[in-house]
Amino acid sequence: MLGRGLKRKLSDYEENMAGLSSAFDSSRSLPYPLKRQLVLNMCLTKLQTYKMLVEPNLHRSVLIANTVRQIQEEMRQESNQQPVNICPGVAPASHSYAGMESPGISLQLPSGVGQQESHCCDLRSVEDPIENSLLIVSDDDMSSAISSILKDLDFVEDISPPTCLVPTGDDQPKFPENTGLKLEDDRQDLKGAECVFGSFEISNSTSYLKDLAIDDIFEDIDTSMYDSDFCCPPLMPPRSPSLATEEPLKTFPSCNSSSANNIQICRTDLSELDHIMEILVGS
Amino acid sequence: FLAGFGSLMQDVLWCFSQVKGTLDTGVTEADIISTVEFNHTGELLATGDKGGRVVIFQREQESKNQPHRRGEYNVYSTFQSHEPEFDYLKSLEIEEKINKIRWLPQQNAAYFLLSTNDKTVKLWKVSERDKRPEGYNLKDEDGRLRDPSMITVLRVPVLRPMDLMVEATPRRVFANAHTYHINSISVNSDYETYMSADDLRINLWNFEITNQSFNIVDIKPANMEELTEVITAAEFHPHHCNTFVYSSSKGTIRLCDMRTAALCDRHAKFFEEPEDPSNRSFFSEIISSISDVKFSHSGRYIMTRDYLTVKVWDLNMENRPIETYQVHDYLRSKLCSLYENDCIFDKFECVWNGSDSVIMTGSYNNFFRMFDRNTKRDVTLEASRENSKPRAILKPRKVCVGGKRRKDEISVDSLDFSKKILHTAWHPSENIIAVAATNNLYIFQDKVN
Repeated sequence: MLGRGLKRKLSDYEENMAGLSSAFDSSRSLPYPLKRQLVLNMCLTKLQTYKMLVEPNLHRSVLIANTVRQIQEEMRQESNQQPVNICPGVAPASHSYAGMESPGISLQLPSGVGQQESHCCDLRSVEDPIENSLLIVSDDDMSSAISSILKDLDFVEDISPPTCLVPTGDDQPKFPENTGLKLEDDRQDLKGAECVFGSFEISNSTSYLKDLAIDDIFEDIDTSMYDSDFCCPPLMPPRSPSLATEEPLKTFPSCNSSSANNIQICRTDLSELDHIMEILVGS
Repeated sequence: FLAGFGSLMQDVLWCFSQVKGTLDTGVTEADIISTVEFNHTGELLATGDKGGRVVIFQREQESKNQPHRRGEYNVYSTFQSHEPEFDYLKSLEIEEKINKIRWLPQQNAAYFLLSTNDKTVKLWKVSERDKRPEGYNLKDEDGRLRDPSMITVLRVPVLRPMDLMVEATPRRVFANAHTYHINSISVNSDYETYMSADDLRINLWNFEITNQSFNIVDIKPANMEELTEVITAAEFHPHHCNTFVYSSSKGTIRLCDMRTAALCDRHAKFFEEPEDPSNRSFFSEIISSISDVKFSHSGRYIMTRDYLTVKVWDLNMENRPIETYQVHDYLRSKLCSLYENDCIFDKFECVWNGSDSVIMTGSYNNFFRMFDRNTKRDVTLEASRENSKPRAILKPRKVCVGGKRRKDEISVDSLDFSKKILHTAWHPSENIIAVAATNNLYIFQDKVN
């Protein structure tokens, strides 16, 4: 199996994080804002690590992003309620600390955070190692950080927009409203707005590929061992012609079939393949 | 556990039966077992691993000479189900790891199972060949063609016995229907269709048709920025072919009826337990994510597994589970560390026994837990080589949460989090369980008196 992603070497930072998380778990006297900050930093670190993976795990990314949003929301509410922070000298929400670039957060190693000392909570002494290791993040920077980190994630091309194929004749050959809406929004989504998981969508230049049965291009891969005695029924497009234009069919032509339908589809695909090659080579 | 006189429930003593897999301390990643499943009769036991292989064990006939052997499982067939693939368009490697295996009920002499990796589902036929034809007219015994003009006598080829050969052939390949990673497959009770679920969508397939699937659930938001929830598991009702459930990363379960609409985005029932404010933490949502959902054999209940608990829900009560079992609550105070090392994302499965009276799930340190729903008793057992003497009775284990540690107890900080039991299976009618511990498969049986 190929190794995937970034192999994490045990670094000072990671050892530090492991120590911090056990401190979180075992210490009862750790103040809540500090705990929250620690968790937030861990979340952002993870998201940034996922950014370097070829294919980030969607489930984990969603859970972590939700945790970040939850903390963000909490911090927002706190700052709305308390214009004067309990920590003297700290103005919440709009502060931008040195060493941090917008839009991305560069997570500095603890050594670079020495300048944070004076801003930390008054409950701990300045020399506290836990405190010194935390990067205090402002609200605005956090939002833009999430967006930028996740936007930069390698995308997953979604070639299968929902098709609601009508199974029987007596059903109305129409789609539920939201399906059509989704397709449109998918296209808008491609414009690349500040979307957290926008990177999981394909980017603008390849949007036309969505309409193709892309897998035809790779028909020759991995198919020789499969039975040819299996006959697939000829591919029937939905009865309503308008549907065929609005919704790409999920058709996966059988490689071994010799029916006329399939030959026709193959021919269409070849010309589309030429078209793609033209664009790819030309651009 | 001791057998009680006059008690309705006789407690079970679990004994070691067999272990499959190498003894080497260095584990090849490809050998890590990723799924375990008995077939509907319990005669066959299938495992899938990270290397894309499927190994099927068959239970031997019980012999009167050795009654204590109780039918051991021996290798019946091994085949490569999935290969690593490279998606050139996205520059992505598609892992060959088998995520799930599901058996079809047996309808003829051959066995059929579905196996899936992240992207492709395959239908495999496993059949035996113990005879071969001999006495062809047009070719001789070595296979060389005979000159037809030299043939003066015709004979009918006869079938002669040969050494048993078990062959596995891929009969269907259901590909290219999932953008996201497949986490579940489930065979419908009509035995004509099945579903496959990924993070955002569920597709319905007909076994005979590989180039089309119906999308029956789609939770992908129009704007991906609004994505806050993913599908984590899905299963068909065991008897009602129109009903299925799917679980989410937010700890909810939706029951859907396919008769109401072609696209089942509106659930018929929505199961969610209100959050306990006293247990609230930064990790509340993460640990509420459901990693497995299973209907009971009766079809009356569903069981869900989240990071710390197993819950049993009555289909008729949506607002809370009827039973909640703590699997390893001592981890609640370790959540930050478990988040840091990603253990908090481990996906444990859960299983019912044949009569739906006992449920089982795995934990860390190669521990697994069983909960008796009737007696409310539970036990922690361990799958380890040390307890692997034939017919040795498994001793209950205990984790000490603090204070004085007794002799046989293990403290929370000594638990080995790299030894996790994610996959287990229970024989459909007998007290035989299969427990996957990394690259080893343990088979335990109840004690025969």
